[in-house]
Amino acid sequence: MQLERVWTAANWERLLVGDLFNKGVMGGLLLTLVLGVSSIVISTVLGGALGAMRASPRRALSIASGTYVQIFRSVPLLILIFWAYFFPPAFGFEISKFSSVLLALTLFTAAYVGEIVHGGIRSVAQGQLEAARALGMSPLETQLKIVLPQAFFNMLPALTGRYIVSLKNTSLAFLIGLADLTEIGKQIGARLMTAPIEVYLTLLVIYFAVNLGLSTLMRLLEDRGRFNRIFLRI
Amino acid sequence: MKLDWSILWGEAGLLILQGLVVTLKLSACVLALAFLLGLVFGTLRWLGLKATEPLCWLYVEFARNTPPVVQILFWYFSASYILPGWLFLQLRDVGYEFGAAVVALSIYHGAFVAEVVRAGLGSVPSGQSDSARALGLGFFQSLRRIILPQALRITVPPLVNEAVSIIKNTSLAMAIGVAELTYQYKHIDIFDFRGIEALAAVTVIYVVLCTLTAGFGQLLNVRLSRHVAVRRGLRPILTSE
Repeated sequence: MQLERVWTAANWERLLVGDLFNKGVMGGLLLTLVLGVSSIVISTVLGGALGAMRASPRRALSIASGTYVQIFRSVPLLILIFWAYFFPPAFGFEISKFSSVLLALTLFTAAYVGEIVHGGIRSVAQGQLEAARALGMSPLETQLKIVLPQAFFNMLPALTGRYIVSLKNTSLAFLIGLADLTEIGKQIGARLMTAPIEVYLTLLVIYFAVNLGLSTLMRLLEDRGRFNRIFLRI
Repeated sequence: MKLDWSILWGEAGLLILQGLVVTLKLSACVLALAFLLGLVFGTLRWLGLKATEPLCWLYVEFARNTPPVVQILFWYFSASYILPGWLFLQLRDVGYEFGAAVVALSIYHGAFVAEVVRAGLGSVPSGQSDSARALGLGFFQSLRRIILPQALRITVPPLVNEAVSIIKNTSLAMAIGVAELTYQYKHIDIFDFRGIEALAAVTVIYVVLCTLTAGFGQLLNVRLSRHVAVRRGLRPILTSE
């Protein structure tokens, strides 16, 4: 092991923030995190809508959402990234590398989140709905006050898994040349030539640490009492 | 831009077919190896032996929480340092991209399969293994004849999901130049400037492959859990609900 060759200050700077300080271009771990977190946030909103559509009693909405989910789940993300990156320019629209990866990753993750949300909504026992209706709640009120709070905690473990996959998937950005953590690592590896084990092991450990951090954070949410204390001040 | 679909009936179509063959081969190898790894590590984790648990935990958590494409790069570029010299030289002559992709993807998916297998084994009531042992079956015999058949039946749906995800993840092997479907699309894009048509064809192939696999899994699941559901008058456990 010759880790000190990889772990120089200059290499660390590139791995963590890319060329942010000398050229003003974001990269490395920072770019990976920005990409991952924004795609997680947007795809959660989109996936929530898809899941609600899927669970809705209107057949048209349910079928539309189901078709979207089925198609986007049976295509590799890499293919979606290529679609997002090469399709718009062929018809005259310019799209940056960052936004094409973000678009593909978000649409891809949204399909899975949609399934999770749908499952979460269905996991709430039928009796809960009937009881809410019997107590005189409106359908909307029933959904917001009875179904969603229970579905949310049922969905959390599956969502955590999906978010981790999403963070891992940002690494595909390097295949269209975005300077994310993997790309910078590859460049460092190519420059050092003789230390691939050290370089890629460092990359793997960084990804591992980030994902472990994410799953720890999500697990904090899963504790209902703690969630209520922090977010609802109960 | 005008699309010209006729190229798919020429040389480009042939390239895509070759890519499809490589994708299928890669998927089959990864499927077999990943399920084997998953079975071994899942059973070990289910047993929870003190001696093996830290190693199993490290393997499963590390493989699951790191990007598969980085794992592929790791195994591909460090092959010359990990393997003994003579073996590497021989492998280099025949090309070891395919092997590196198989190893990396099997290790990645094996960890997921291991978790599924562990959960499946855990779902079999402990009375089953107790009564098997009480009837005089040895440990391996009870595992093979009593526990695993019940556990594997429950794990069919998640394992089918895993198979679909393996087919999709073989596309990552293009990062090290394995000539599978996605690689062939890139090739056609660069040499014929007919990227969109090739991409559409490749996308359709992936959708068909994944849908067929999922459908086959559904059939398998129905078949395997049919008599269970009828005999006990219960719905099969651990379906999507």
